[in-house]
Amino acid sequence: MAWIKIDKANELDNEESLGFEVEGHKLALHKLDDQFYVSDNICTHQYALLSEGFLEDGCIECPLHQAQFCLKTGKAMSAPATVGIKVYEVKQEDGHVLVCFP
Amino acid sequence: MPEQHSNQTILIVGNGQAAAMAVQQLRSQAFDGCIKVVGQEPYPAYERPPLSKAMLAEPGADVSSICIHSPDFYSAGKIEVILGKKVSRIDPDRNVAVLEDGRELSYDYCLFATGGQARQLPAYPYGSPCVHYIRTADDTLRLRQTLRPASRVVILGGGFLGMELASTARALGATVDVIEAADALLTRNAPFIFSQWLQDRARHAGITLHLGAKVAASQTRPQTGMLALELDNGRLLNADHLIVAVGMNPNSDIAASAGVAVCPQTHGIEVDSHGRTNISNVFAAGDCATRVDRQTGERVRMESWQNANEQARIAADAILGITPKAAAFPWFWTDQLSCNIQMLGAIGADMQFLVRGDINAHAAAPEFLLLGIKDSVAHYALAVNAGAQLRALRGLLEKKVSIDPAAFSNTDIPIKQFVKKATAAAVM
Repeated sequence: MAWIKIDKANELDNEESLGFEVEGHKLALHKLDDQFYVSDNICTHQYALLSEGFLEDGCIECPLHQAQFCLKTGKAMSAPATVGIKVYEVKQEDGHVLVCFP
Repeated sequence: MPEQHSNQTILIVGNGQAAAMAVQQLRSQAFDGCIKVVGQEPYPAYERPPLSKAMLAEPGADVSSICIHSPDFYSAGKIEVILGKKVSRIDPDRNVAVLEDGRELSYDYCLFATGGQARQLPAYPYGSPCVHYIRTADDTLRLRQTLRPASRVVILGGGFLGMELASTARALGATVDVIEAADALLTRNAPFIFSQWLQDRARHAGITLHLGAKVAASQTRPQTGMLALELDNGRLLNADHLIVAVGMNPNSDIAASAGVAVCPQTHGIEVDSHGRTNISNVFAAGDCATRVDRQTGERVRMESWQNANEQARIAADAILGITPKAAAFPWFWTDQLSCNIQMLGAIGADMQFLVRGDINAHAAAPEFLLLGIKDSVAHYALAVNAGAQLRALRGLLEKKVSIDPAAFSNTDIPIKQFVKKATAAAVM
């Protein structure tokens, strides 16, 4: 388990996401209402990058088929997804955004 | 939830997308009475969109990979699912459904989620050699068993399903011909500019399109079982597989014979905005249901994944006496020719279509948007590989905001910024 600094996190605006990789895992950083969230970046329904999706009402919505996942819990909130995504702990330190990767 | 429901039984006839959503909604609204689902197919409820795509393309894919709910969902939710059985009739006076084996199921509320079946052409009976209709998982598995890279596939019908099947078969290496009676693809459902783009892209992928053409004669070759087709323009085609994709007919016969009102035009079960039929404890949702469109006043039967989900959600709430949230803005998607294509709203007469991005049919991964406007108000949008951008436009369409055409087409302005500006201007 380690805290990993996310490059370019501070360039992100609200309602924007950024894809990045940790040890070959595709992750996504999301910014909504000045809060940062990190989740898996691949939709559980069909291969698509959630970092290319749409942020609203505490959810990231997949760009392909509008499956929604809760940013806080990763829970699948709407069809066609039924399986949730993993979400990761985030903290801000010395002006950097860090993710806790197990 | 009103308390009187806890001892009641809700029967769902049919087990597709609408049934799966209705069950989910009933349980998430804390309905703790009895739910019974009767499905004619032998499988638990599954997603139909993959039948023309991943399920056909991937040799190992089985139905469990496309099931909507996990097996636990049904056992934990105490939902009785009766598979492989047909409801032969319902008796609305006694509130009873009779299965084909004579078994009776009583209900307090009945929801028809019976979907539809592929429209069959008499010349090509269902199940005959070489002939395929794609509506069920078994239909897809049957085609997949015999589809080979060297197959010659002829598809009758250049609608969404026909083109998805063409795309998948072509990607597998098959020779693919599509016969469409209209002069262009998707003439009723998509803007002309998109229809032209799709034709260009399909041809670029090696699919042969026969537009404005019909089959004049067909014959089964006795030695090979192959079909020989002659088109009305004189073209001759040999088919190892003929796939007929010329629309669907709603399953409304059982409802009709029970006295449930069925629309003479659409053949769908007539429902109000909450999914209720003319019989107060009988509801219908999805492909089998027809409602009055608020905008046009016309009776419409919508065949889409989203509509099945939304009508089912609304009907489930209405059954429980809960005022449902309004239906989501109409949305449709198709995946074909290496593109994710999405639409919001419906095209209308006198609409002008604006383009944003590069509408290049030959690009490996094209990305563009079309916006349908009338008197500068946006009513319809289409996205190719730009789902999140389309999603950003939804607010504009819902609020019927008037927009600046030049700003929409200017890709230097991010789409969210364009939407915010237009929405702010409308509020002022």
